[in-house]
Amino acid sequence: MDAIATRNLTKVYRGHIGRGAVRSLDSLTLTIAPNEVFGFLGRNGAGKTTTIKILCSLLRATTGEAFVMGQDTRRRDTRKHIGYLPENPYFYEYLNPRETLDFYGELHGLTRAERAAEWDRLADLLDLRDIAGQRVRGFSKGMRQRLGFAVALVGNPHVLILDEPMSGLDPLGRRLIRELILLLHGQGKTIFFSSHVLGDVEQICSRVGILVKGKLTTQGRLDELLNRRVNRVEIIAAGLSEPAAAAVAARSDGVRESEQGRHFFVNDLDAANAVAADILQSGGTLVEFTPIRESLEEYFMREQETVS
Amino acid sequence: MRVLAVARNTFREAVRDKVLYVLLLFAAAAIFGSKALGWISIGQDIKIVKDLSLAAVSVFGVLIAIFVGTNLVYKEIDKRTIYTILCRPMHRWEFILGKYAGLAALLALVTAVMAAVAAVYVVVLGGRLDVTFFQAVLLIYWQLLLITALAVLLSAVTSPILGAIIVFSTYVVGHATSIFTELPPQFDGTFSKRVLEAVYYIIPNLSNFDIRAEAANGVPVAPGYVLWAIAYGAVYTAVLLTIASLAFQDKDV
Ligand SMILES: Nc1ncnc2c1ncn2[C@@H]1O[C@H](COP(=O)(O)OP(=O)(O)OP(=O)(O)O)[C@@H](O)[C@H]1O
Ligand SMILES: [Mg+2]
Repeated sequence: MDAIATRNLTKVYRGHIGRGAVRSLDSLTLTIAPNEVFGFLGRNGAGKTTTIKILCSLLRATTGEAFVMGQDTRRRDTRKHIGYLPENPYFYEYLNPRETLDFYGELHGLTRAERAAEWDRLADLLDLRDIAGQRVRGFSKGMRQRLGFAVALVGNPHVLILDEPMSGLDPLGRRLIRELILLLHGQGKTIFFSSHVLGDVEQICSRVGILVKGKLTTQGRLDELLNRRVNRVEIIAAGLSEPAAAAVAARSDGVRESEQGRHFFVNDLDAANAVAADILQSGGTLVEFTPIRESLEEYFMREQETVS
Repeated sequence: MRVLAVARNTFREAVRDKVLYVLLLFAAAAIFGSKALGWISIGQDIKIVKDLSLAAVSVFGVLIAIFVGTNLVYKEIDKRTIYTILCRPMHRWEFILGKYAGLAALLALVTAVMAAVAAVYVVVLGGRLDVTFFQAVLLIYWQLLLITALAVLLSAVTSPILGAIIVFSTYVVGHATSIFTELPPQFDGTFSKRVLEAVYYIIPNLSNFDIRAEAANGVPVAPGYVLWAIAYGAVYTAVLLTIASLAFQDKDV
């Protein structure tokens, strides 16, 4: 059973006066296996939030269907399995984190004792104890996001759907969220999150899907999508005599100089190793040996271009 | 229970609304000010104070129901607090019912406070309170329950401004529904007459809840009548809340 599955999910927002209807999501078919960390990528307006809101049954799909843990998302009890963190989560400003979690626990159908246990668990996990009594009104973005995460985890759902969980956070906050996602992954949860911060995605996702203008152009394992072959190696060497340098340059596909030394570019890993051995033999020092792989960012850019 | 959780928060939030206190101040001013009008009609002042205070309780209760009620669901969508709520394993009607119940509880408190102020004032002025006075307060509250259901329905489907206009018009017209049936003879058989008759059947007859004159004059009202009015209001309210739930069921938020 897939943790999340969508079939031909399409959303057409009814047009306003003077503006036609917008097809924001076009026949999206996706499957996410249990315990996967899935990165849902796309530029602004690609339809990420639209998809997520349909999964959480805040929006009705125009056509198509969506399933979470094998159940139609339109069914009420399907939502037991979903923990949702909206893009910039908003909570009642006059409640404090403790009251907030209690409220959501009640909506989740937890008893008083269960809610108290949830508070203990989540306050520790998200470090909420020091702000337990403060009103949400005065919270910073990072505090709100932490609380949002705690709210999503109330009731310990299997599937976490996170809409840009790292946007607007500082590097430390982003790392915290990354670690949390990996921790949840370790606990067997399925994590679906949207993002346009590709570095974050690259670090924690096992699979990604790329959405371009409402259409899914790619879905697959990150290591399969990216050309993981080393397609270029950069070697920096110092202390080479002029003739030795000229000899090495003759065997490379490109040369550049900087104050670090001479940069040699070689388009093949084995050849690069041979070049490095040559450098050492001619009495030079290896300053750097860097295999260059395609990054998700380069891939993503290529994807955008093929569509437009 | 989920409905209670939503209701409790709605109540908590509404109690913090400054509009509430401004309206309560005006209500108090109207109750105490009624004495001034009492002076003009010598010997009638207690009667006038009772009549006008009950009118104040009704009008300011309705204003609170309108100001808070037409915002209830709209604000949750607008401020996006609704996202994390409706994604829970709850029915959308439970949310509607919870919002409604929270405001109904607040109005019960507000009505009780305003009525208590009016009652104490009547006694201080040397008047007597009889059962009709309290029956009148009960029916005023019952009318507020109906008005609130309409406000909540509109807050789920339209903007607070439009909602407020519709609720307020309904309140005004609902107290004068007889104009629809007592049309001059030149309307007989016309299309406008049929339309107005249709409006008459749709708009709740709010004068059913108005026993202020009896309360002011100390004329007893049959308990049967009060029960009938309560049943009338309950049915109307239930229908409005059902429509609100259905309208909200498939709404994109
Ligand atoms: N309520 C709405 N009515 C009309 N159009 C909408 C509505 N919500 C979203 N859209 C349109 O749908 C498209 C997709 O929006 P969506 O919010 O899903 O994108 P996104 O991928 O989440 O973007 P972002 O990265 O900016 O959050 C956009 O073109 C947007 O203008
Ligand atoms: Mg978005």
